[in-house]
Amino acid sequence: MKNRIRIIDNATGQPVEAELFDEVTVEHFIETQQEWRPIVLKAARQLAARGSHQLIPQHFHWDWTTKAPELNVLANTFYGIRYENKLQGLMKLETVGQFCSCRLPEQAGNALVYVDYVEVAPWNLKPLMSSLGEKARYNAIGSRLIEAAVLKSKEEDCKGRIGLHSLPITESFYAKACRMTPVGRDPAKQNLLWLEYTPEQAENFLTGAR
Amino acid sequence: MKFNSDPEWLKRQAALEDNCFVSVGGLVSAVEDLEQQSQQAITSRAVFVNLLNLTRREHELSWEQFSQKLDVDLTELIGIANDESYKPTPRTVTKIAHFLHVPAEKLFILSGLARAHDRQFQEAALRFAARSQPVKALSSEEHEALKEFVKFLCER
Repeated sequence: MKNRIRIIDNATGQPVEAELFDEVTVEHFIETQQEWRPIVLKAARQLAARGSHQLIPQHFHWDWTTKAPELNVLANTFYGIRYENKLQGLMKLETVGQFCSCRLPEQAGNALVYVDYVEVAPWNLKPLMSSLGEKARYNAIGSRLIEAAVLKSKEEDCKGRIGLHSLPITESFYAKACRMTPVGRDPAKQNLLWLEYTPEQAENFLTGAR
Repeated sequence: MKFNSDPEWLKRQAALEDNCFVSVGGLVSAVEDLEQQSQQAITSRAVFVNLLNLTRREHELSWEQFSQKLDVDLTELIGIANDESYKPTPRTVTKIAHFLHVPAEKLFILSGLARAHDRQFQEAALRFAARSQPVKALSSEEHEALKEFVKFLCER
């Protein structure tokens, strides 16, 4: 599956056409290691040197290549966003598993699509690029990935229901920018905040309704 | 999948996102972990170079002949063998794996393109590194070490 989508080029403030695809391979994971990781590490060191420990990305240790064996698992779906021949974002979804069940009281027990991993290229993250004296390049990558997760949920008859464990530093994005409902801390998952969408909230996100 | 094509929706969402962190996944570990992982990559890389060198010598090939057999650019091959910071391309590593009849994923790890989270794999690689110091002629011990390690790569 390949879809033409639009993201924002910060240099002009205008939408540009990118590609969202699900044929993610091990080579994409290697690309993240080779192209993303050195920048993340460099920025993390800059932030640490300045004493801005709270801004050190909480995902800097990730290694997508360890996810390679999961590529062939049917219950997993991977999505990537490519623009200018570079990977701009990557996401892993699970449609079956221990976290694929709703927790909000009004929809508890219903099936949902679990967002297991999301990462955006470091050159699209303002806190990292600022530490390196540069500007973030493309915007709305995270929103496009969450949109893909909701659409996948609809395809799977989960009616747009998705759930995820947010890192502390990303809670406001999911709660405020995506308007997901924070349900509570999950002791089974490092006490991370669990958020989820009802079908109505998911639809509002997709259409922009307030 | 039908994505929202409304530019106003996109701009509004971009303003809300504002290039902030959006990562989902496990909690951060210490920076030292990263340094340790990078040390492991260097060890794996040394094993990869040894494996390449012993294989070449076992087949009694010059580097030039070896590059032709592999269908890999000679500069790339020499770069891998002599420059620790040189990153081979996945395509080259795949060709080497094909020549050795071992799974490409295993060589991705050894070449430093991917990382192993398998203690047994790391121990086998270290054992091979310890037993395969380069000498002029391929000793029977090296021959055995090479055979054993290639067998290990194929079996697992």
